[in-house]
Amino acid sequence: MKHAINFILNREAVSIRIEPHITLLEMLREVFDLTGAKEGCGAGECGACTVLVNGKPLNACLMLAVEADGTEVLTVEGLANGTELDVLQQSFIDHGALQCGYCTPGMIMSAKALLMENPTPTEKEVIEAISGNLCRCTGYKKIVEAVMAVSQKNGK
Amino acid sequence: MRQFEYLKPKTLEEASRLLVQYGEEASVLNGGTDLLVRIRDGISRPKAVVDIKGIDRLKEISFDEEKGLTIGACVNLNDMIQYPVLVEKYRILAEAAHTVGSCQVRNRATMAGNITNASPLADTATPLLVLDAMVKVFGPQGEREVSIHDFFLWVRKTCLQAGEIVTAVRIPVYKENVIGNYQKHGRRDAVDLSTVCGAVVKIGDQVRIALGAVAPTPIRAWKTEEFLKGKNLTEDVIAEAAEIALRETAPIGDIRASKEYREEIIKVLVRRGLGSIRRD
Repeated sequence: MKHAINFILNREAVSIRIEPHITLLEMLREVFDLTGAKEGCGAGECGACTVLVNGKPLNACLMLAVEADGTEVLTVEGLANGTELDVLQQSFIDHGALQCGYCTPGMIMSAKALLMENPTPTEKEVIEAISGNLCRCTGYKKIVEAVMAVSQKNGK
Repeated sequence: MRQFEYLKPKTLEEASRLLVQYGEEASVLNGGTDLLVRIRDGISRPKAVVDIKGIDRLKEISFDEEKGLTIGACVNLNDMIQYPVLVEKYRILAEAAHTVGSCQVRNRATMAGNITNASPLADTATPLLVLDAMVKVFGPQGEREVSIHDFFLWVRKTCLQAGEIVTAVRIPVYKENVIGNYQKHGRRDAVDLSTVCGAVVKIGDQVRIALGAVAPTPIRAWKTEEFLKGKNLTEDVIAEAAEIALRETAPIGDIRASKEYREEIIKVLVRRGLGSIRRD
């Protein structure tokens, strides 16, 4: 049986009817064509599917779509303002903080959640915040640098 | 994922009734970080998934000078860790909860879920064992409180009866400070399950030890505690305590470590734990 749900997706109110066994990740990718969040492990270990629900990062593969009812969901697609990239996205580009790019949307959303709560995190706090996101290219150093650059800019 | 029916009761009575009605074919959905993986892998095949997050009273966390700290079943681990009284009075539990999964997982996972899964390596279990926590349960017969020492029966088996739901975990008040810490020995620092874990604390002059991933359930090392009663924690006493603790366990070899490796680590964790409370 399909369930009717209403939620805010990237600042827009949406209503949809969805089967209960569909995960939030599947709904985002297959119903809304938001393919930024990716399925890596499907078990909450890699963080490639990280999105923000009510401002908190979580694994979209471990949440049912029906559980999004009444929440506010933000995906990497919702960060840019029109064609203007979020400062964190621009920083990832400036620092070459990606190789294959598979982990990037998840990394950015975890880091974004941290910066929303604490605009000037320390390097230790950044590393802690992205510890649930795996980068199999092992490009962590530049990712941390990209987030720290935003932290330093916010501190000025 | 396999199909199932999704039910979101608003009251405990309704939730319990649904669990009785569907029996073995129902699964409780709380944070979902374990259940959804199990459904996806085909290990759990529920016909009905009963989401308890619509029950408001399960989201409460409160402290009372007499009853202690009561943590509702649907309080996620990150919210729990940020509760000031928890950090101030029961730091060991905050430390252990912080080692569960990742930040993303802790924004969903709950302590009630962590213990109800009854995994031998549940991170919050050993601190709850040394703190003599009580598990509050609601069921067809009404409410009851079960000691954490009677809660775990076997691997993934608890004392919960048909239609029963964990509503909260209550940690009693201690006049003395709880000194000591949680140790998690894993293969990597972040997002890993324990190879062996343990909580060693001193409350007043009483030493308490609990160990995880060393037996079918997390355990209290009662005999070791008995041995330590009234003794100074000298090097010799600590070394002997580690040997006694080892005899209280029954570790297995699995994907994370061999039996022999676990036996070594059990002794190391007990020695380190006792060493640290001696210094404090």
